Amino acid sequence: MMSWMIFNPEFYFLVAGTVFLCLSMARRVRPEQVYFIALILASVGVGVCLACVRLTGDLFLGTYRIDLFSQVFKVMLSMGLFLVVCLCTELNGIEERLHPEFYFLLTVCTLAMMMLVSSVHLLTIFVALELSSYSLYTLVFLRKGRDRGIDAGIKYFLIGASASAMMLFGFALLYGSIQTAYLVEILKILPGVINRPMVIIALILMLSGFFFKLAVFPFHFWAPDVYESAANQVTTYIATASKVAAIAILMRIVALSGGGSVYLIHILVTLSIVSMTIGNLTAIVQKDLKRLLAYSSIAHAGYVLIGILSMTHNGYSSVIFYALSLLVMKFTCFLVVVKVADNGRNLNIEHLAGLHRRSPILAMALMLALFGLAGIPPTIGFTGKLLIFTAAMQKGYFTLVLIAMINVVISLYYYLLVVKAAYLLKPEKELPDLKISPSTRVLAGILISVMVVAGIFPTHLIDLAKAAAMALM
Amino acid sequence: MNMAYADFPYLSSILLSCVGGLLIILFIPKDKKDTIKWVSAVCSGITLLISVYLFFAYDKSLGGLQFVEKFQWIPSLGITYFNGADGFGLPMLLLTGIVFFTAVLTMWELQARVKEFFALLFLLVSGVFGLFMSMDLFFIFVWYDVSLFPMYLLIAVWGSTRKEYAAMKLTLYLLAGSALILPAIIYLVVKSGLNTFDLVALMHPGTFTPFQQKFAFLLLYIGFGILAGVWPFHTWSPVGHVAAPTAVSMVHAGVLMKIGAFGVLRVGIFLCPEGWQYWAHLMALLAVVGIVYGVFVGLSQTDLKFVIGYSSVSHMGIVGLGLATVTVEGLNGAVFQMFAHGVMTALFFSSVGYIYDRTHTKTIAELGGLSRIMPVATGYLIVAALTGIGVPCLASFWAELTVFISSFKVYPVYGTLAVCALVVSALFILRVVQRTCYGPKKERFAHLEDVSFKLGIPRMILVSIIVFFGLFPNVMLDMIQTASIPFVNGLP
Repeated sequence: MMSWMIFNPEFYFLVAGTVFLCLSMARRVRPEQVYFIALILASVGVGVCLACVRLTGDLFLGTYRIDLFSQVFKVMLSMGLFLVVCLCTELNGIEERLHPEFYFLLTVCTLAMMMLVSSVHLLTIFVALELSSYSLYTLVFLRKGRDRGIDAGIKYFLIGASASAMMLFGFALLYGSIQTAYLVEILKILPGVINRPMVIIALILMLSGFFFKLAVFPFHFWAPDVYESAANQVTTYIATASKVAAIAILMRIVALSGGGSVYLIHILVTLSIVSMTIGNLTAIVQKDLKRLLAYSSIAHAGYVLIGILSMTHNGYSSVIFYALSLLVMKFTCFLVVVKVADNGRNLNIEHLAGLHRRSPILAMALMLALFGLAGIPPTIGFTGKLLIFTAAMQKGYFTLVLIAMINVVISLYYYLLVVKAAYLLKPEKELPDLKISPSTRVLAGILISVMVVAGIFPTHLIDLAKAAAMALM
Repeated sequence: MNMAYADFPYLSSILLSCVGGLLIILFIPKDKKDTIKWVSAVCSGITLLISVYLFFAYDKSLGGLQFVEKFQWIPSLGITYFNGADGFGLPMLLLTGIVFFTAVLTMWELQARVKEFFALLFLLVSGVFGLFMSMDLFFIFVWYDVSLFPMYLLIAVWGSTRKEYAAMKLTLYLLAGSALILPAIIYLVVKSGLNTFDLVALMHPGTFTPFQQKFAFLLLYIGFGILAGVWPFHTWSPVGHVAAPTAVSMVHAGVLMKIGAFGVLRVGIFLCPEGWQYWAHLMALLAVVGIVYGVFVGLSQTDLKFVIGYSSVSHMGIVGLGLATVTVEGLNGAVFQMFAHGVMTALFFSSVGYIYDRTHTKTIAELGGLSRIMPVATGYLIVAALTGIGVPCLASFWAELTVFISSFKVYPVYGTLAVCALVVSALFILRVVQRTCYGPKKERFAHLEDVSFKLGIPRMILVSIIVFFGLFPNVMLDMIQTASIPFVNGLP
């Protein structure tokens, strides 16, 4: 029975999900109580994941692998959940009676993603991915006001379903050509047969499912609408935790090919360049802050692909580091969105006007997060980009790095527009200071220091990422 | 390159007093404006004192890299925290100390958002100091960006004349430069196969093939050159100078543009000497076009700060011309010119800033007769103008002379063109001085006060430095030679 200890994080979140399921059936639970329970469960969840970080082992007939790679990502996912729950003090975008369901879906989605990063069998991957996707579809629907959420939810669902279908087709083709669904065995066979057309097509179809999650071109169309229409907290979750999980599974799958296929690399290079460029150029004209962040995450998917397509140990470890930095930076941006739009509405860029006066600490956090996303030192975002670019350069992708850097400059333009709104624009009428609770202040302070300190002293995180990437190879 | 380790971390203390000053300012309540100013003055004063001490404590007979501090930062990537000062770096550190201290004093009258202004100024200057002392490519890039991004807010919040446009243009141009620098740096580090960002380790001859050197040098030259105001990438510079508030103009034209030229020297020329020799002719051409262009566009300007902005383009062209000669004299002149021009523009912007704060106009036609109203303020302006046109006994004279002598040997045609342009520039700068300072006294300015003794202190410091190095140029030239002679002699 000892071997089940390694399943503890998943087990814990399963229990937590059940608690919320029961709460959703109970009557007369006040929203504050639900929030309080959620906060405790989520924070204990982080602790559980941290405690299990060094465990290794296999479960379920070798379809489920616990290694440092999966455990590091589980810590990030539980942290993502915890941070999102921290934002739920004013959960105004979702009706009060649906709050327990909201937390239930959030927990189940986190559970599914944790299973996703541990899956080493095609079927477990598919089941976990669908479980997380369906929770997210429902979460998007939950937004108050009928017209908003449903539109985007259906779009999300349709694109997601077709991506899943393609992925399933890819699985079938792969199984057909190499007669195994275990990733470990695929890893052994695949490099030998990688240049068969059927295998390439199978891999690309498979990847499209994960590209959808990460919002890589051409599966990015859902992102802006969903970001805009979902409740702010749900958007935060999609932009942080779900992206982290997508990055993890994408690495697992690409690592299978062993770096042998020129075609695959060409396709990844193209997708990376197109995603970066489209994301950044479209973001320039956005007025809604959440849409802007959606396009910026499309662009970031492009940067992530650069690290992945290097297909080296350095490349994967840089992506792990970058996933963490994205989690922190994106969350900080959304913290500001949620706190400034305190009645749960959407936020235009000009609504940030006068933020530096209304709440200096939020303005500073926003500025640092945006500069981090733009890759300006000494933030964590710069270190991440440096690692990714170094890995790509070691494989000789000079032009790709140059294009990425040009994209970084383009992205800086719209990030600066947001900074300008927060620091320069004067609000039309005098707005009162934002009421920020001390705990939010502390959270913002912690985020600021994490972004700066991890940018200046990244050694331990880099070592951890390197160790985690070893488990992948 | 021989290295002497520091017995005391002088260089880190400079950084520490910048970063420490920044942190102290962040924790002072924003209403206590005087406290903030005093803290800024003290911290910047400390940096000035240390940089002066280092300048004179440097052992010229020993040469090489001194006051070295070195320890591992990110071992897995080969990044070290590696600071050192040599004959190229020390003049720049001195310059930064001078300009920073005087810029803080110049802004003594600031009332709007004081806390944020000085915090950002400190951040900017930490980047500048860091870049001038760092010998690790990773840190050089980090400091480069750290010194750039505060500019956006500094110009956009406290500036004037199309400030938002100027701030955005400047930031995007300079970061476009960093988009070329970062790939070039990573390219060099990866191609060296040494897995280190340590500049001294990478400097060994034979580390890079000639092709790699030519390729990387071009990227580094354009990347850093944008910040150095190399024609045709200079267009951000006059616009930015005009829009920026006085202290930022001072730091920006005085020090920040030097970062660009220094980056070309420290990274480009040090690591890719063959690339340097290969592209030298192009550098000379662009430099001379910059000199001539700056002078002639400056001729037609009606705004006082635009005039200085374009004269900066032309003066930085002289730095570029010096670097392009690939000779000891050329390097000496280029570094000396960086120093002299830095002090000179700081004085220029400082005195124009004073006049603008009083008269609320920078248009030359609206000014006039100021020497009767503010004799001292215009006195500073005239000294700056005379330095700009290279009058003997002032610092710029020696710098420009050294560059021109060396350029006549290597590029006679370009040298001639540059000297002719300088003569024209004398004409236009003198005309500007004449229109602003002399002529009939204007009644609407008659009530304005002259520079008080307290506000005059930063300008007096700048004037005395210009005169000191004008009378004793050898103090500076001997210093630069400790680095330039071994470097040029070591060339393949």
